Amino acid sequence: MRLVWKLLRRHISLPQLAGFFLANLLGMVIVLMSLQFYRDVKPIFSEEDGFIRPDYLILSKRISSLGAIGLGSTKTFSQRDIDELASQPFAKRVGAFTASQYKVSCSMGIEGLAQIGTEMFFESVPDAFVDVDLTKWHFSPEDGVVPIILPKTYLAIYNFGFAQSQNLPKLSEGVIGMVEMTISMRGNGLNEYIKGRVIGFSSRLNTILAPESFVRWSNERYAPDAEDEPSRIILEVSNPADDAIVHYINEKGYEMEDDKLDAGRMTFFLRLVAGIVMLVGLLISLLSFYILMLSIYLLVEKNTEKMRTLLLIGYSPAKVALPYQLLTIGMNAAVLLLAVGGLCILRSLYMQRLWSVFPQISEESILPAIVLGFVLFVIVSLANAAIIRRRINIIWKN
Amino acid sequence: MNSIRLDNTLPNVFLARQDVQSDIWRKQVTLEKGRTYLVEASSGTGKSSLCSFIIGFRHDYDGNILFDSQNSRELRTADWTKLRQSHISMLFQELRLFPELTAMENVEIKNSLTCFKKRKEIEEWFEALGIADKMESPVRLMSFGQQQRVAMIRALVQPFDYLLADEPISHLDEANSRAMADIMMAEARRQGAGIIITSIGKHMDLPYDKTLCL
Repeated sequence: MRLVWKLLRRHISLPQLAGFFLANLLGMVIVLMSLQFYRDVKPIFSEEDGFIRPDYLILSKRISSLGAIGLGSTKTFSQRDIDELASQPFAKRVGAFTASQYKVSCSMGIEGLAQIGTEMFFESVPDAFVDVDLTKWHFSPEDGVVPIILPKTYLAIYNFGFAQSQNLPKLSEGVIGMVEMTISMRGNGLNEYIKGRVIGFSSRLNTILAPESFVRWSNERYAPDAEDEPSRIILEVSNPADDAIVHYINEKGYEMEDDKLDAGRMTFFLRLVAGIVMLVGLLISLLSFYILMLSIYLLVEKNTEKMRTLLLIGYSPAKVALPYQLLTIGMNAAVLLLAVGGLCILRSLYMQRLWSVFPQISEESILPAIVLGFVLFVIVSLANAAIIRRRINIIWKN
Repeated sequence: MNSIRLDNTLPNVFLARQDVQSDIWRKQVTLEKGRTYLVEASSGTGKSSLCSFIIGFRHDYDGNILFDSQNSRELRTADWTKLRQSHISMLFQELRLFPELTAMENVEIKNSLTCFKKRKEIEEWFEALGIADKMESPVRLMSFGQQQRVAMIRALVQPFDYLLADEPISHLDEANSRAMADIMMAEARRQGAGIIITSIGKHMDLPYDKTLCL
């Protein structure tokens, strides 16, 4: 093997191999980088809510100016609307919001501080859509305590608007959880009180959410005759970035409640850009592969006679091909290692910046990028090895 | 392998000729293992072609060549490789040495494939052929006669049933061709192999079993 290598290394062109090496390295770094950057940045656009999973969308009907004064089309979803939505290919599950149909007011007080009271309402979605421990998300009339999820904006309004102007202490989410609310419910000739406990805040839901069992029970008790066609529905989709969703919603004149779709679109564009960049990287890699193959063709051409002699004195084509195959595989491996190293360095640079702007994002693993690099390495090396072997077979035949 | 049979063989370039007079072309010839053959030929009668056909380097011939009963046209790449490694050894007329390697490396590159001879035996052959001092010299700096001897040693460092030597002594003096003949015969006898030597005039002094005119 040593002697065969001594023979066949003649005519190896270092500039050509260096050209291949650098081009391939550049291509590989771009490919790995685009994947890693996509993975690192994606969570910023799809920040998860503790209670509502990111692939849930909340839909309502658009309120027109006619609708606002009681004319025009209905604002609620009929069973037909819901069934039709559920039959769409992008929909995985559909659930309706159920709103309280009676009067609710609530007061809460922290010991020694002013009582805050307000009129309010409740809504519920099927429990399966609420991502919370079901032992906490549970109501029975005997308990007399309702768990509640409030919109995060309420806390912000209180802390930055109300508390500031009234010289009240600012409250954290944890403290609110310890505050008991007294809820008064009136309707059907009854006026009863029940305790409420805030178990969390959601940035995705613009409503006061209570367990479905509670809302159903209380509607039956305080407003037995009220109609309850839902005005909002919650929808689980397989891919929030799916274009078909936007089409369907626009066509039906529905509205998306939150920024989920924007985030979905951002994610889509991020994916598109990352995909284009990756394609450019792959293209560079492909060109570098072409350079390497040209270089090897030239090398084989110049060393053809030597290779023919090796074959004639009993070397198998596999043995004759091996030195060049090892050369290319070795270079590909070196490219992979350097590319992963380069990826780590570049990533540490941009991650510092990202963290300074978005401290909440968690660190993603670079394993998928390494796996992708390895897969590329295997594919390219196998292709190299096969092409070299084919050249030797051609020498064998002629 | 115990026999090489040439069955009505003729190089394609001779197909148009009607007047082929030969002991080999268009004949049934069996070359048996353990026997020594001299193929005498004038230039242009297809001597090197015959060697190329047998070693599987070229296939542009009519008729068949059979190794025992196996038609050589049916051999696959792996079969040819095995044949060249351990059944037929060839000393090429154009030698086919590697100019950038030393004399010893030229032999080693074959011996490392077959692991057939110890370095000491190889050195003894260099000694016997009078080129011991050239062992570590690049082969390109040696004369053609010296290179012929290196090529002979390379042909011997493998197991073989037949040794095919295409004009092995064209550039050797009497003493050196004698030494080469002795070494070759000794190794062929040891292996029980057949020898096929081609010549266009000057030929090795060996106890030939048969002389064939090409």
